[in-house]
Amino acid sequence: MSDQEFEPKILGFFCNWCTYAGADLAGVSRLQYPSNIRVIRVMCSGTVSPHHVLKAFQKGADGVLIGGCHIGDCHYLRGNYMTIKRVRFLQDLLKFTGFEPGRLHLEWISAAEGPKFAQTVRDFTEKIRKMGPARLKSARAA
Amino acid sequence: MDKLRAKVRTLLSEGQVAGYLGYLIKDSHPLPHLFTPENLEEVDQAVVAPDNARYPLDKLLIPLAERYPEAAFAIQVRGCDERGLNELYKWGQLDPEKVVPVGVACTQEQADYCECPGPWASVVDYGEKCQPVAKSLRVEQVATLAEEDAFQEWLGAFKRCIKCYGCRDVCPMCFCKDCSLEHEDLMSTGQLPPDSIFQLVRAIHMAGRCIDCGLCEETCPAGIPLRVLYKKANALVKDLFDYETGSPTAGPSPWKMLGEEATLETKPM
Amino acid sequence: MELRAVLTTCPYCGVGCNFIFEVLDGKIINTMAAKTGPSNAGSLCIKGWSVHEFIQHKDRLTKPLIRRDGVFKEATWDEAYDYAASELLRLKDTYGPESVAFVGSARCPNEETYIFQKFARAAFGHNHVDHCARLCHAPTVAGLAVSFGSGAMTNSFAELEHANCILVIGSNTTVSHPIAAKRLMKAQANGAKLMVADPRKTQIAQLADLHVQQNLGTDVALINGLMHVIYKNGWHNRAFIEERTENFPALAEMIEQFPPERVSQITGVSVPDIEKMAAWYAKSQDSAIVYVLGITQHTTGVDNVKSLANLAMLCGHIGRPSTGVNPIRGQNNVQGACDMGCLPNAFPGYQYVNVPENVAKFEKAWNAKLSGTPGLTMVEQVEAVHEGKVKGLVVFGANPVVSYPNANRVQKGLEALEFLLVLDIFPTPTTALAHVVLPGASFAETCGTFASSERRVQLVREAIPPIPGKYNWEIIPELSTRVGYPMKYASAAEIFDEMASLTPAYGGMSFPRLEAEGLCWPCPTPNHPGTKYLHKDKFTRGLGLFQAIDFRPPAEAPDDDYPFWLTTGQIFSHYLTGTMTRRCPTLHHENPEVFVEINPQDAARLEIEAGEKIRASSRRGTIEVKARITETVKPGVVFIPMHFLENAANRLTNAALDPITKTPEYKVCAINLAKAA
Ligand code: SF4
Ligand code: SF4
Ligand code: FES
Repeated sequence: MSDQEFEPKILGFFCNWCTYAGADLAGVSRLQYPSNIRVIRVMCSGTVSPHHVLKAFQKGADGVLIGGCHIGDCHYLRGNYMTIKRVRFLQDLLKFTGFEPGRLHLEWISAAEGPKFAQTVRDFTEKIRKMGPARLKSARAA
Repeated sequence: MDKLRAKVRTLLSEGQVAGYLGYLIKDSHPLPHLFTPENLEEVDQAVVAPDNARYPLDKLLIPLAERYPEAAFAIQVRGCDERGLNELYKWGQLDPEKVVPVGVACTQEQADYCECPGPWASVVDYGEKCQPVAKSLRVEQVATLAEEDAFQEWLGAFKRCIKCYGCRDVCPMCFCKDCSLEHEDLMSTGQLPPDSIFQLVRAIHMAGRCIDCGLCEETCPAGIPLRVLYKKANALVKDLFDYETGSPTAGPSPWKMLGEEATLETKPM
Repeated sequence: MELRAVLTTCPYCGVGCNFIFEVLDGKIINTMAAKTGPSNAGSLCIKGWSVHEFIQHKDRLTKPLIRRDGVFKEATWDEAYDYAASELLRLKDTYGPESVAFVGSARCPNEETYIFQKFARAAFGHNHVDHCARLCHAPTVAGLAVSFGSGAMTNSFAELEHANCILVIGSNTTVSHPIAAKRLMKAQANGAKLMVADPRKTQIAQLADLHVQQNLGTDVALINGLMHVIYKNGWHNRAFIEERTENFPALAEMIEQFPPERVSQITGVSVPDIEKMAAWYAKSQDSAIVYVLGITQHTTGVDNVKSLANLAMLCGHIGRPSTGVNPIRGQNNVQGACDMGCLPNAFPGYQYVNVPENVAKFEKAWNAKLSGTPGLTMVEQVEAVHEGKVKGLVVFGANPVVSYPNANRVQKGLEALEFLLVLDIFPTPTTALAHVVLPGASFAETCGTFASSERRVQLVREAIPPIPGKYNWEIIPELSTRVGYPMKYASAAEIFDEMASLTPAYGGMSFPRLEAEGLCWPCPTPNHPGTKYLHKDKFTRGLGLFQAIDFRPPAEAPDDDYPFWLTTGQIFSHYLTGTMTRRCPTLHHENPEVFVEINPQDAARLEIEAGEKIRASSRRGTIEVKARITETVKPGVVFIPMHFLENAANRLTNAALDPITKTPEYKVCAINLAKAA
């Protein structure tokens, strides 16, 4: 499959109060972003378990994007403290095992940041498109 | 062994503990055994587990303590076993007031094999303290691999997994009643090899909890270098959160509390 | 307050792993791999780690049951014994002793099996006693006995780690014998070449350095092809052939007819792959063969086994460490049950019944009149029931309704019996048909020995007292006594000693000697160290016998009505008929129900979706299965696991038999698949 044809599959976990609302705003404002992303709305980014992320990769996701409130803005006060701990840990573990840490990204996007949301999705999709299909997926197909 | 036996005998006969969880040679095999005041003479046969026949005594203590919540127990511990007790206290599985360690210092040979940074218990009732091993060469070796090569190495190993769950079943730190590895929606069932993420999921759960006894790797029929994975997971927890797994003074686990402030930043894309 | 660690031996497969039961105040609470187990060295498979989950299960049979007018009622032991004895005596008197046949178990300890066959032979004066080895490895016993003079695994598990090349054929090792697979993986890590010949792309096949997918039932052709290439290239071991074997010219003539091109046509394996396999096997210093039921459960089972023996002898890869022909037994004690003479043609220790001295020896020892005529095999027993010759059956720890091929016919047969006595630990479809059900003690509730695949006799130790209140080794003698042949033993050790005194290969063994790590037979004298590998300087029969084996196709092939090849087997979380494993939550979680593996191309053609219920039917029956779409099977081939009695794969399988051992062809038959209505 050449890079041209490759359409990455991206899974987004967005917190209900900030990033999901930001996505809404981007939609209402008719900001363009690629349709490769499938979104799972969660109550707080702090509820996303590393296991969920790994399961997404297992199921063939090429990228996973987690979005939450900015530090200090979490609806549950400090839920996103856990998010950043988990993501940073998982990224490093993925690096050690060669499971492509770059395919996991965390971004703080508030309800007011529609343009930032669209930009993040665009950039991430492009990045993943350049990386090509996930190693794990290709290894399984072989 | 005399010192150890004397201590155990005193503990039992003075009624300081209801039992001592240690080892006995039975049918020519070293096996875990609960010594009790009723059978005090058995203490003459108490031994320290040979290096190649260590069992997760901490894990055996949990159901025993659960059944006899009022009783105190003595237990044979090496450095790793004692780190295990410390973690189990933190996770509410054992009560430190009810546990008396009977300590063992490992041989240099064993410490080298384990790459163990703390090869003795806080009290030493058997053995001589040896030189600890500060760094894991096994971890460093993997860290030097190119990402793609690391991936091939690990995936190749994971593909050998026969899903015996031995790594979990032998683990003194695995006490959960519902195990993520058997989560209906998150881990597929029924086939070999299991999902390639199986060992990573376990590694996540072992971060900040694995006390590096090495029993998982020893039991793994597929020869997967599990210990390297968990050593790394612990090293990350140390680097990222400054948490020393198994240390009595390290405070609560970073996974148990949100923390007073967010000390980490997101990585740029 | 009591917490004990009881060391014992696994009751599932023939690897013979040791583990520890953690017993807290009389209850088994956990299982832990034994670090000092000789064949497992600290590992277990998923079944082993979960074994405690079934022992104290609420479904255990705890009281004897008597069925009258179609209803089971609990009975006292005395009532059950009396009723069973009176029925057995009635059949004996009315129709003659030959009207009662016996089915033993490959699961129970040697001591129980020994007295079971003794009961059948001494109390009834015939040899109609068999067990399920018939269904799996009888071709091994028959084939290797002819080729080498001894029908057992030639080498031991630990040795495999040091082989340079291993040919695995007809063995889904990581599933059926996981801890043997540990050795294969270790060997590979040590640099050995691993070759797997299997119609399915199993896990071990995926791990192999070379995997060939031969067509079902074409093993003889494949092996002859390998020998053809080896011989043509002069890679055979001339010295070995000359000094240690006979009848080589006949083999040479036969393999002449199997050039790679022809073999490729029959087997579907490419010529270069055939050549590569031949080269690796022949040219490696120490090459070992590992096989299981994919070789034996065919109408050509004995042929397949003999062919492997030929191959090993051709290259001289036998009689040395880390080589040999290694059948891994499916059941913990199938080796032992054969050793114990739970066979219609042999007394304990393969002392054949048609040899008058043997009859005399056992008549003297047992003080009974014995028969010198070989008895009926299992499948023949069922036929004899249909013919009205057998009226009563005594089944000890076996589940023929599920495990025999063509289960429908077996069920009808058992229904027609005048008297059926079954001992088991759980209710099964077989106990449902019984007139008397006796509750058995499981392996955790008794002392005794199992003989593993590597001929290692190991101790089984009592962790908790028998749940039904009696040891199995008390039940059989009591029955025997009540039908007129008195037997009484004080302990399992006493039975073992009697058996050992009559069985030369066990002659030097005793419980105390078995404590540390068991002993591998032959162990003829009290200071003999046991035998790690067989046929060292001399085959058991003297010279190894080459046999020219021609290729015969399987009994049933797909046609327009039944267009798919069906093969059956095990899955990693279950064991045989699932009586035990399906009651373990950990194992049930992995595989709660039956499925069929079907290739994506076939699924697309039939418009079958993953998870869809479909009907699988053969000339013999129909079952409903869930579709699992996978590349594990080739187009045109499907696989159904055997464990699920509500939808037993054996309702489909063919009872066509190997002509010599009467082993059914479980591994090949023709079926049709259709969307469920
Ligand atoms: S012990 Fe090894 S083979 Fe068993 S489940 Fe764990 S990683 Fe897999
Ligand atoms: S490999 Fe066989 S003997 Fe070992 S634990 Fe598994 S079933 Fe039991
Ligand atoms: S609510 Fe948005 S991150 Fe917690």
